[in-house]
Amino acid sequence: MDLKLLLDWRLHLMVIVTSMFSEWIGIVRIPLGPGTLLLLPLLYAFVIGVLFNPHLFSGMGKIIPKPVSHAAGPIILIAILPFIAKFGSTIGPAIEQIIAAGPALILQELGNLGTMLLALPFAVLVLKMGREAVGATYSIAREPNIAIISDRYGLRSPEGIGIMGVYVVGTMFGTLYFALMAGYIASLDILDIRALAMACGVGSGSMVAACSAALAEAVPGSRDELLAFAGASNLLTYATGLYISLFIALPITEWLYKRLKGNAPKEVRHES
Amino acid sequence: MKANDTTANQFDAEALKELRPENQLGKTALVLAAVCVAAWFSNIVNGAPLLDALPGMLILYVMVIIGLVIGRVCPFYLPSVAWVSLVSIIATLPVFPGSDWIIARLAEVNFLAVVTPVLAYAGLALTGREFAMFKQTGWKLVLVALLVFTGTFIGSAFVAHLIL
Repeated sequence: MDLKLLLDWRLHLMVIVTSMFSEWIGIVRIPLGPGTLLLLPLLYAFVIGVLFNPHLFSGMGKIIPKPVSHAAGPIILIAILPFIAKFGSTIGPAIEQIIAAGPALILQELGNLGTMLLALPFAVLVLKMGREAVGATYSIAREPNIAIISDRYGLRSPEGIGIMGVYVVGTMFGTLYFALMAGYIASLDILDIRALAMACGVGSGSMVAACSAALAEAVPGSRDELLAFAGASNLLTYATGLYISLFIALPITEWLYKRLKGNAPKEVRHES
Repeated sequence: MKANDTTANQFDAEALKELRPENQLGKTALVLAAVCVAAWFSNIVNGAPLLDALPGMLILYVMVIIGLVIGRVCPFYLPSVAWVSLVSIIATLPVFPGSDWIIARLAEVNFLAVVTPVLAYAGLALTGREFAMFKQTGWKLVLVALLVFTGTFIGSAFVAHLIL
């Protein structure tokens, strides 16, 4: 990627203005049924970004030309790193609490298998999806998971289309969805808030960011502790996620898919 | 991580490699400086004035660079985010010399303010292909994706809740 594009002043100035404006709007709380939806500045920043995206409205190309928009892609990965460093700094001081919660932290990694338990039956039985469902539901479809599917089935296979679909949805809405869902579930006060914090660590920097930020806002008193747990859990997912999804999640998904399809001969895929 | 048919795959191994920040440290260092400036300004509103937050931002910058360098020279693969995270954890452990000072400087940097610019980049970065794929895969995959996210979150929270 061309360095000139990566350092294009229009892009970074646009981001600075967008961020400051979003921060200025601040956090908005919307009561919904028994819980509360939290709208965070990152949500406004994303929406404003999309509105100025030249691929959506070509007129925006005057402000941010398309090549500059392409350059923003790799920048996301770099932009998340200072945040990850800030995140890690919540773990260090809380190391004793984290070690005390060790067993829960490690075992909740297996909870990531919950992806398929909920989504796979729905995809196969209700939506009548074919093999796409395997790729779509065996993991939360971040980069390491894509690498596994790409390696095993290829990305143009039905499984590949499935995972790329979830990947795109995750890229577009995952962060926002996690923020809304986590904040809402926390406000319901059913599960231990520390357990929710650990569940935020799904192996995607921006998702864990939004998720734990929402929790911290929902329960401001235990902010530091929550961030520490979410960060530790996320770190653990980075280390183990690839192996859990390759050796446990994918085989179980395959097995469950066959059961759900009732061992029927392969039907014609109807996904266009 | 090898892709079988590199020419056919649009999301191919080369693109993934290009995306890994530790592979081009020079470029990354410059881009990182730019995104840190964005975060630094974003931090003014709900965090701290520019000068107060400067040491904290510089600490974050240095932590990231150290993490990337480790990721570059390390013989086995862990995502650079994992290394950066480890560097930051170690630097803020109570036993680490000067950790109190580091934590105090980092306190000037608002947690949320650092993420806000990331999402602004993300919104601007969506490609025509992603918008198209989104239209094409449509509501079914959106529904499935939301269930996937809900499932992993509730699943993990449930297991952790039982053990805590």
